Amino acid sequence: MGKKPKVILPPDLPPEILEEEVEVSDEDLQFVNENRDYAGFVSRLDTQSITKHVTRVADVKEDALEAIYEKRLRKKSATLKENEESKVQLDPVDALPVKTLDGKVYYRTLAKTSKGKDENEAGEDEKDGGADKGLVKLTKTEKRAKLKKSRKEAKKLGKEVAEPEEAEQAPQAAVLAEVKEDLTAEEAFENKKCKLAELGIALLSDPESNIKSLKEILQIAKDDNPSISKLGLLSLLAVFKDIIPGYRIRLPTEKELEMKVSKEVKKMRFYESTLLSNYKAYLQKLIASEKKPLFQHVVVRCICNLLDSVPHFNCRESLLEVVVRNLGSRDDVVRFRLFMLFALMLSNSTKNYVYFLNLAFIYFQLNCLFLVCRKLCCSTIRSLFTNEGKHGGEATVEAVRLIAGHVKASHCQLHPDFIEVLMSLSFDEDLRKAEASERDNKNKSKKYKKRKNSEDPSQQQGNERKKSKKELMSKTREEVAADYKSVSFAPDVAEKRRMQSETLSAVFETYFRILKQTMMSTAASSEAIASSNTSASAAHPLLSPCLNGLGKFSHLIDLDYIGDLMNYLKKLAAGGSSYDSSSPKCLQHLTVSERLRCCIVAFKVMRNNLDALNVDLQDFFVQLYNLIIEYRPGRDQGEVLAEALKIMLCEDRQHDMQKAAAFVKRLATFSLSVGSAESMAALVTSKNLLQRNVKCRNLLENDAGGGSVAGSIAKYQPYASDPNLSGALASVLWELNLLSKHYHPSISTLASSIPGMNTANNQVYHAILSPQQAFTDLSLERESFNPKSDIRKLNSKRKRGSESSTLAGIESTSDTSINENEVSKKLAKHFMVLRDIKENERLRGELDRTSLTLQLYEEYKKQKKAAEPKAKRKRAKIV
Amino acid sequence: MRPLDEAETTAVFEKLFKFTGNNLKNVVENPSHEGPDPNPGRYCFRLHKNKIYYVSESLVKRATNVARDNLVSLGICIGKFTHTSKFHLTIQALSLVAANARHKVWLKPTSEMSFLYGNHVLKGGLGRITDSIVPGDGVVVFSMSDVPLGFGVAAKSTQDCRKLDPNGIVVLHQADIGEYLRMEDEL
Repeated sequence: MGKKPKVILPPDLPPEILEEEVEVSDEDLQFVNENRDYAGFVSRLDTQSITKHVTRVADVKEDALEAIYEKRLRKKSATLKENEESKVQLDPVDALPVKTLDGKVYYRTLAKTSKGKDENEAGEDEKDGGADKGLVKLTKTEKRAKLKKSRKEAKKLGKEVAEPEEAEQAPQAAVLAEVKEDLTAEEAFENKKCKLAELGIALLSDPESNIKSLKEILQIAKDDNPSISKLGLLSLLAVFKDIIPGYRIRLPTEKELEMKVSKEVKKMRFYESTLLSNYKAYLQKLIASEKKPLFQHVVVRCICNLLDSVPHFNCRESLLEVVVRNLGSRDDVVRFRLFMLFALMLSNSTKNYVYFLNLAFIYFQLNCLFLVCRKLCCSTIRSLFTNEGKHGGEATVEAVRLIAGHVKASHCQLHPDFIEVLMSLSFDEDLRKAEASERDNKNKSKKYKKRKNSEDPSQQQGNERKKSKKELMSKTREEVAADYKSVSFAPDVAEKRRMQSETLSAVFETYFRILKQTMMSTAASSEAIASSNTSASAAHPLLSPCLNGLGKFSHLIDLDYIGDLMNYLKKLAAGGSSYDSSSPKCLQHLTVSERLRCCIVAFKVMRNNLDALNVDLQDFFVQLYNLIIEYRPGRDQGEVLAEALKIMLCEDRQHDMQKAAAFVKRLATFSLSVGSAESMAALVTSKNLLQRNVKCRNLLENDAGGGSVAGSIAKYQPYASDPNLSGALASVLWELNLLSKHYHPSISTLASSIPGMNTANNQVYHAILSPQQAFTDLSLERESFNPKSDIRKLNSKRKRGSESSTLAGIESTSDTSINENEVSKKLAKHFMVLRDIKENERLRGELDRTSLTLQLYEEYKKQKKAAEPKAKRKRAKIV
Repeated sequence: MRPLDEAETTAVFEKLFKFTGNNLKNVVENPSHEGPDPNPGRYCFRLHKNKIYYVSESLVKRATNVARDNLVSLGICIGKFTHTSKFHLTIQALSLVAANARHKVWLKPTSEMSFLYGNHVLKGGLGRITDSIVPGDGVVVFSMSDVPLGFGVAAKSTQDCRKLDPNGIVVLHQADIGEYLRMEDEL
């Protein structure tokens, strides 16, 4: 006997609110109006069927339910009958039935027409045709079916209405015309497609003779039908990609035109000029239709493809502009709208659910579209940067300049991808070196020549002939070299260097602008309203990619800028507030990861540029020291912290004793309260610090106070903001003892290995892994590790549950301090209670289940008893 | 022995501020555990015979019992007023200043000796230097093993140090621990 059949209730409908009451913001309306192509299906939605779908029988009891279903069925059959009375069912072979959402099968029927209502019918038919047009697309089979249907209709009409033929003919003709029109549209579509294919193939096979057909394709692409137009654009893309030559076309000047040229050259000129003019027209068409949302995706794809494959060709600038504009496309707006919409939906929860859902769907689609476009543009720009051989670096300069201009124009409120593409730039490291060596060579050769000249006179007489020969040789060599240079595509070194320096200056201009903007905004906001903490992290979308880029190109920064840069970074690392008055409110304008990144960048810049001078970046250490406390495992990025630990603490050459000790202590404290990956990174760092700073190992001694090395501060101050003033040397690293009981085996082994460092005089530095490495290892391992640890935890819990009383007993006898004893007792009690509660719950559940089964069994028995006499009676009746 | 008057206080604090920056707060608020009192007192500045002393309060109370002529010294002497009533820090202030230093310079082992004989710190002898030093700031000089050696005044900023030639002066000498031997009588 199974359980009772459960009625799964559909979710309660939101309280009814009249449509007029729902506030639809003007923005939404405007948006829908703008993007009518997407919103089209909203108007087409069958709201009735949807509401019918949603309004199910919910809280009606079972008996009533059946009644309702019966009623419905009866109603349906009744309506069907009515329909059948008025309609003639067609042969199902001729017209396939349609199954609707709610499972009804509609056979195509014809309305029975009374003789006098011909005009009416014709009107209906027209309506029908209109509706059909509205549908997105008709497949061929459907079309055919429809055609047949209409023919039959006509025949029937002919049979039925034999007498008033004259009156009949006009509507019939109208119907036929309609059908024909449909057919021709379809045919035209097919024809155009075929034509496109033919033209394209012809062009590809012999571009020189068929160059004129470009124009035809262009005409097709300007078709009214969007799908045809799209096809045209795409096929043009394919054609252009194939036939565009590997050089830039320069149209002949008038002087050149006047000159007499051979037939071949004329032909070539004609070919090139038509190609170019068509290409320009094509680009214009693309750029013009980029604004239309229906076309945007196709257009962006075309443009990206073109830019990717033929970056050297004419009109590159306009292509670049479109691509760069699309890089930071407006998806944020759409996302914001989406968010607002959901908020509205949640707050209203009206019956206009469907409408809202549809709107949301539109926004979502748009969002996806923008996302796809942006990704395309990104990849294009990246490939542009990486494959500089295709265009000789000019496009790079232009693109970077465009990006810089956009950043300037939009006040740094763009998508992070905008700046991230700059990361894929590459600069030749040895450009400067090459120049230097060249100069050296020149000097050498000059010297050599001088010496040669001085030697020459002595040998002059004998070598007259030889000399002239030599001169001739060298002359020809020079000529050859010049020719080679003009022909070869390898760019001039000087030219390349100039271009790269331009690019670099544009890149750094952008970066510095972003930094400055961030600074200004944080300063302004902290001055104006210190309480506005809303969307603090979203305020600087470009900062983190900018900092990444600065880190990557830090070796290329001019020494003169470094001072300013460091000042900016210092202020940013302090959270945008001047660090004299670091009030906690001001600190919230930048996230912890961003501030950590600032520190990292500062260190990278310093390390890459100052080999000789060892500068101690104390302010950044102070910031890091404070940021370690502010770090929250879920909110902030652990990788950034690990990188900061690696760069600032592990790779820096020397530390003060006080500072190192303070960091060791704080990292140990930190690792107690975070996940395994972060604590592993922290532990690795502190081990590294302890290895290098012998004096800091006083922390490992079980002697609070630190002795003579403790310095002026006699007591450890855990909340000090300056590592030098924390007095960490006066404390003891008791955290390691706790960590050696960590649930993660690798952490516990590491933690237990650190205290041994003091006694074993290991002067040899073990090659320990970097904190970054440790972090990634453990964070990867996290997923796979979890289940194992869970099992063990459960086991230990059970054990502790059973043994806790005895454990407590043992511990009470051991001579630990009283405090600890009490704690353990309390813990034991707590666990006992917990276990009891669990046990209780389990038992109660079991009881419930058994009682339920008993009850069910009894019911079953009753029913059986009731059913038996009935069956007997029935049998008796039959007999 | 008397507390400092207004002008003297500003002179002393300005001088100390050059070395310690915001850590001056720690100098003033440092709790003292001297004496038998259960709750820690503070340190304060006292003037005695043109010298400034950094003394714990409990010690000051006890020192009042000694006649002015008989009192030679108390607490830490951190500096003295010159005849033109300017304040100079002396080498005894090193422990106080080094613990709270804002700008530091570390010397290479080879140039430690030269500094301890009273010479300026040259670029060539520089082991490390803290960031963002401005000319005129007070700088504490350390050995590479973090032993404070003395202090001075920065002659060049950190940025300028980069371009300096090895014989350029980075820190002007004011006091070093060699003075304990050289000027034993004066101190």
